[in-house]
Amino acid sequence: MFLGLFISWWYGPGWRKALVSLKPRLYLLSENLSVKLLLSTLFAPWRRIVTYPGAGLNEKFKAFIDNFFSRFVGFIIRVLVLLMYLVASFVTIIFTGLEIIIWPLLPFIGVLFLVIGII
Amino acid sequence: MSVVINLNSPRARKARLSQAIGKIGQNTLIGILILLFVGSIFLGIVYGFRWAFVGGGFTVIFLELILWYVGDLKKLSPEGSSPVDRLSIEVLSLLGKKTSLNPRSVWSAFTGNWQINFLLSHLSLNSDMIGENLSDDEAQFVMDLDTAALLADANNCQQIDVLFVAAAMMQNSKTLEQILPKFKLSQEDIRRVVDLFGRNMSKKIVKHSYGGIGRNWTFGFTPLLDKVGFNLSISIARSNANFGWLMNSVGVKSIESAFISGSKAVVLVGDFGVGKTQSVYAFAQKLIEGNTVDKLAYHEIIMLSATDIASRVRHSGGLERIMIDLFNEAAHASHVILFLDNAQLFLSDAPGSFNAEQILLSIVQSRSVPIILALTSADFQRLKSTNPSLAGLLTPVVLHEMDETGVMRVLEDNALGLESKTKVVITLPALKQVYRLSGRYEQDVAYPGKAIKLLEQSVSFSYNGVVSEDSVEAAVEQTYGVKVSSSSLPEANRLLNLESEIHKRMINQNHAVNAVAAALRRSRAGVNNLRRPIGSFLFLGPTGVGKTELAKALAATYFGAESSLIRLDMSEYAGEGDIVRLLDSGQNKNDSLVLSVRKNPFSVVLLDEIEKAHPTVLNLLLQLLDEGNLTDTNGRATSFKDSIIIATSNALAQSIRVHVANGDNLDNLSESLSDELMNSGQFEPELLNRFDEIVFFRPLNTDELAKVVNLMLNEINQTLSNQNISVTLSEDAIAKIVSEGNDPRLGARPMRRILQRSVENSVANKILEGEVNPGDHISLSATDINFSE
Repeated sequence: MFLGLFISWWYGPGWRKALVSLKPRLYLLSENLSVKLLLSTLFAPWRRIVTYPGAGLNEKFKAFIDNFFSRFVGFIIRVLVLLMYLVASFVTIIFTGLEIIIWPLLPFIGVLFLVIGII
Repeated sequence: MSVVINLNSPRARKARLSQAIGKIGQNTLIGILILLFVGSIFLGIVYGFRWAFVGGGFTVIFLELILWYVGDLKKLSPEGSSPVDRLSIEVLSLLGKKTSLNPRSVWSAFTGNWQINFLLSHLSLNSDMIGENLSDDEAQFVMDLDTAALLADANNCQQIDVLFVAAAMMQNSKTLEQILPKFKLSQEDIRRVVDLFGRNMSKKIVKHSYGGIGRNWTFGFTPLLDKVGFNLSISIARSNANFGWLMNSVGVKSIESAFISGSKAVVLVGDFGVGKTQSVYAFAQKLIEGNTVDKLAYHEIIMLSATDIASRVRHSGGLERIMIDLFNEAAHASHVILFLDNAQLFLSDAPGSFNAEQILLSIVQSRSVPIILALTSADFQRLKSTNPSLAGLLTPVVLHEMDETGVMRVLEDNALGLESKTKVVITLPALKQVYRLSGRYEQDVAYPGKAIKLLEQSVSFSYNGVVSEDSVEAAVEQTYGVKVSSSSLPEANRLLNLESEIHKRMINQNHAVNAVAAALRRSRAGVNNLRRPIGSFLFLGPTGVGKTELAKALAATYFGAESSLIRLDMSEYAGEGDIVRLLDSGQNKNDSLVLSVRKNPFSVVLLDEIEKAHPTVLNLLLQLLDEGNLTDTNGRATSFKDSIIIATSNALAQSIRVHVANGDNLDNLSESLSDELMNSGQFEPELLNRFDEIVFFRPLNTDELAKVVNLMLNEINQTLSNQNISVTLSEDAIAKIVSEGNDPRLGARPMRRILQRSVENSVANKILEGEVNPGDHISLSATDINFSE
């Protein structure tokens, strides 16, 4: 009784939804991992941990090293997160691609499995 | 015209299926899916691949069902733009397979639905009453659907939900339009609850973005601020608070634009309760949701308390140190806006505060950290005179008291928050009552602060989980110690028969009684000026004719008790300095007029012998009659809008006596007597014009005095009823008492004394002599009456 309704949705709006889902998925990923923000602050000190140089040469050198280290830590962590974003995006693209391909076949796969199992 | 809703359409069938599956069905399907998946692996391992395929086949089928439910059935997007195509799952499933769709049958199908309960509970209405007053015309329902679509559009909802349809049917019903005013509701109130529903739904649906994982990595650590300050932004994010409408208010937009245009220090200027703190909360919500320019997005607002900071100081100079550390930390973090609520506590040496003016000045000058200060207008003016350089560097944002629409929106937002927190329903009439009563009884705090305060207090007085008008009245009575419940006011029927009620304890003076009763009826019916007292009267006439008695009778009949009479002998206010005693705010432990009325606003205020008061006092009376309030010595206003003001005077007493002696009817002479009063110069014309009525009392004749004796005798009998003894007077005894008690100068005033001297003493002697026992009846004739006793 509901088979017609199911089929019309599955090969209609359902499949269409799978086709257009890539963009929002990638957007959500970039939002949650703050990609835009990480790129714009790639070389910023980590949590703004900075020291201010004093009058002497030693203090200036020490401050330079500290700040360099803070920026380096910030850079490493941000790059790691950006790499994570790239991997996650890749997985999402692959997954969505497979979904688009498998989606129309899925009802047949279910029936096919049953047929193979019973015969 | 036939209804064009096809309840056998694919969408309608899907809606019924969706409703049948529901949340429980969805969870069951997921459970089965997991079992099938695990089972297929198990079967494959134990019995071979064939069984694994069978299990796998079923797993895939269940997976498809779940995907169908989640992706389609659960939300069921609109299929088109027509109202029918936009009906929600709940509407379609509640309509079932009905063949006849008219407002009444649809309402009956909707009864019990949670959205209907939301609508009715917020309007304090009964479902049956609504159903009975809806049309059974199918064409009407088609029009209702168009209205429902408009309501959904106004609330940014794609789907037409049950509440929109129900509200549309109520709005379009001509019968209900006539009935709603009886419940103190209007069509606009239905729209208001629809709006409330829309906001409640969007609050649940909206998922806030707080900037993602890397948001805080560019910001510095704030350990000291976290310890000393209160982070408004984090508190909003954690509690999912919603300042809704306030986020787009003029005040919040002004703060935002001040910072956008480069200001680093904003001062919010406004009276207590005007919404300074709430506006900063709303601004914080806007920032933390990133709903602003990039420059301000995800900034956090941290509130500093002068008391908390002062309590952390352990040694001299510690205060400056901690303030500087806090500001440095905020500047270094780069995403913090500091908020100094009650900033006057940072700018004075008064107890509980400290003077950090110089530190603030250097911070503001350095522009290193954005800062918001909240000050009252008076405190900002003071800062301008004490530290003009600091005041000049601040960008002022002046917050004005909100109008009724704004206050109601803020109240509705707060009510939604309180409802979800305390699990009560706050009705719309209750919110209106909060607005009205907070305005009337809280004079020291501005809107919306005072209304929010009263709303929060009212929640403790909810009954059966509902905050109604009664809850609000109970909260006001508890908080302000005043009687405001409708039970303390006379019922309409009693008001219609006010004359006969008064005449139960007053003889004649029909003109005076009629004039007063008519004025009070006008007031109760709401046709007079609501900004003035309920009624104001000037009673004129000789002594002992019933002026005070009428005031007492009014207190008893209108406010329910004679104790609701606040009586002032105005001869005690003959000096210019006496005005202070009327307006004393309590420091001198006097029960002044303003204090008495503040304690019991539902009172008759009797100002006896007003002509003896000093002209300054009379000028004060002008303000009272004009504006309905007086300001005490502390500058706090007291409302007289729930009081009846009666001033008495013996002015024109002689003239009235002469007219009566000549057999003139006073009812016909009101105008000429009023002119005579104006010309006499005893009162300023502007004062006389302020009274609702000038009422003339005539001296009582012998027959009326005899009736007064009978009334007084009733009082004596009431006292004696404790001992089960009663007294009657023969006609000759009454005539004798009247003749002795009637004094042309004092009217009926000596009558009570004469009765006491004759009747009460006579009865007392008989009781003591044992002549009278409980259950006895005493008849006194003229011979028994002896005035010398």
